[in-house]
Amino acid sequence: MFGQRGRMNARLTTLALLIALSGAALAARVAYIQVVDARHYTARANDEHYGQEVVRAPRGAILDRNGYPLATTVDAWDVYVNRADWQDTAVAQKAAAVIAPVIGQTPDSLISEVRKQATGLYLAYGGLDFNKGNTLRDVTAPGLRMVQTTKRFYPEGDLASTLLGFVGRDHVGLTGIEADFDRELGGIPGTIYFVHDSIGNKIAFGSERIGEQPKAGGNITLTIDRYIQRLVENELDAQIAKTGALGGSIIVMDPHTGEVLAMASRPGFKLSQLNLNTANPLLFRNRAVTDVYEPGSVFKTLTSAAAIDLGLVTPQSTYVDTGAAVIGTSVIRNWDYSVNGRTTVTQILQRSLNTGAVWMSGLLGPDNFYHYVKQFGIGTATGIGLGGEPDGLVRTNQDPAWSPVDLADNSFGQGIAATPLQVITAISSLANGGKLMRPYIVKEMDTPAGPRTFSPVEVRQVVKPQTASAVADMMNQVVEGVVGELAAIKGYHVAGKTGTTTGATLADGTVHNGNVASFIGFAPVNDPKMIMLVKLDYKDDKLGGEFAAPVFHDLAPSILAYLGVQPNGPQLVATGP
Amino acid sequence: MVALQRHALPFPRRIGVPKALGRLRSGKALLVVAGVMILAAATLQVNQFSLSASTGYQIDNLNTLRAAKQAENHQLEAEVAQLSSLARVDWEARVNLHMVPPTRKLYITVNQPVPQGEALPTRFLPGPTTTAGAAQQRDSIWKRLLKLLPF
Repeated sequence: MFGQRGRMNARLTTLALLIALSGAALAARVAYIQVVDARHYTARANDEHYGQEVVRAPRGAILDRNGYPLATTVDAWDVYVNRADWQDTAVAQKAAAVIAPVIGQTPDSLISEVRKQATGLYLAYGGLDFNKGNTLRDVTAPGLRMVQTTKRFYPEGDLASTLLGFVGRDHVGLTGIEADFDRELGGIPGTIYFVHDSIGNKIAFGSERIGEQPKAGGNITLTIDRYIQRLVENELDAQIAKTGALGGSIIVMDPHTGEVLAMASRPGFKLSQLNLNTANPLLFRNRAVTDVYEPGSVFKTLTSAAAIDLGLVTPQSTYVDTGAAVIGTSVIRNWDYSVNGRTTVTQILQRSLNTGAVWMSGLLGPDNFYHYVKQFGIGTATGIGLGGEPDGLVRTNQDPAWSPVDLADNSFGQGIAATPLQVITAISSLANGGKLMRPYIVKEMDTPAGPRTFSPVEVRQVVKPQTASAVADMMNQVVEGVVGELAAIKGYHVAGKTGTTTGATLADGTVHNGNVASFIGFAPVNDPKMIMLVKLDYKDDKLGGEFAAPVFHDLAPSILAYLGVQPNGPQLVATGP
Repeated sequence: MVALQRHALPFPRRIGVPKALGRLRSGKALLVVAGVMILAAATLQVNQFSLSASTGYQIDNLNTLRAAKQAENHQLEAEVAQLSSLARVDWEARVNLHMVPPTRKLYITVNQPVPQGEALPTRFLPGPTTTAGAAQQRDSIWKRLLKLLPF
């Protein structure tokens, strides 16, 4: 009996121990889950109950140098129609009669468009004006869904369209400044967590919490001046319309700082009429930065500068022009087949003599010539910070396919390719005491660390100040020393050089066998405040002095007056056309 | 026996206890009081929930209103920008004022500084400069008192 009782006690004790151990294990597990692994399980529970929504950060504005907005963001509405609610024709017609007029459609076309969609929501209008959207939101229309959004707004209309670029529906920059500085403009999106139901839909009055606050994109202030930009674009459009040009580019810069004051190129696109479904992407290029061309005779200024800088010639040095320069088996003639006899270096520029440039390149030799070409920044991207900028094409005597004819051609800007921006940057150095400045277009930028201001950057001293001054005087003689020079303007002393070359660029980017007429000029000569490059593409023979120089003539006085440059002496009254 | 003896002991005399209190000790009165208290607590809780919901709704409404006002503000800024755009100035000059491009330009030197007008939306203007005095003005009385402490 005692033995049985003893065994019973032992069994009970074992059972009690087992229960106690199980209890202890359970307690330990509960403690582990609730204390040690609490974060993990909290996160899992939150994932189960909370959904998340990305909140787009407000996009920053693009401002001109004086703070006027060129592109900014305003609130808008996206108008959707729920396809399922428009099954019944009577209901659809009633709703369409209300919605269609507000979004600029007819009720019938809207119904047919919505019914093309099998299921779900049909985007009837993206980015509807905020006030119009508010009106529409208050009406009762079955199937109507309104979602508040934002859209890009351009207060200056289509101004600087190829430069500014545009954003897509997701508000990501696709071209131009919008794309190049998308990170700065776009900001950092935030997150909102909300309680959702079993199929993921947000519960109307469920709890909501903000994960990360969206950080608004910063504003970008350009060096562009909206007034000068408008003048330039209007003049470019007028000249293209008047002379039947295929397109063209104009750049205006401050030669002392490298600030781009205006940059226009055609053909382009209109921001107000942009339709990404039908637009030709080739029109989105900012041709002043992306397209290369043979600079032609404007390059003679660089050849002269190199020769003068090395002391090989002076503006008064002479050579005998026989009308032809023979390089091996190739004969190079002047553009007008003229024979000029004894000619000074200044006259080479005035008459734009190819043979004179070939003569100077012979004095320089290929090593010196290409050294200066490189120093002037030809063959290297300027580093302006805009997308699609190429290096250009320069074949030097170090390249296997190079021949002495290349040197001769290059001396007057043929057989060498540069962007309009590279050309104006290089020649700016002659207006800036021989200092090559890096061109820049962003003046100030808001960053998370505060505003960042960009200052002028001197790349290098390319030629001596005396050389730059001598070439500037020679360029002044080009404009003011020749009767009938169309670039001359009353009240200001202008330095300039024309250029004409073959190979005009068509809208699709292909090179046509026409002419590129160009002119580069700066004023006032003694202390230049602006430099301007005008480049026009033609499908037939057109001269820079005849077609590009007048554009400079029309634009420069207005720009100089706007910049506060006073005309010289007695000519306080300038008579226009 | 001991227990009986204890029961036999006289109850201590309750001096100064009102009769009403005595009645409260009765079961019915206690039930009534408990009921009233439960009802009051429940009402209070309902009231609190109602207040909380109402406040939440108000916050939601105010947030919506704020968003709408912000949107309106942006619209107005955009309108200001558009009205000060060169295209609009040009249009006004040509259409309403019947102006034409100049054929003769007069350059007059004016030795006066340009008037400082602010034609831009405030969003694009530099922010207000915060001075120490202004910052102090915005501080609460507690902060100002705390700032007086030597440590």
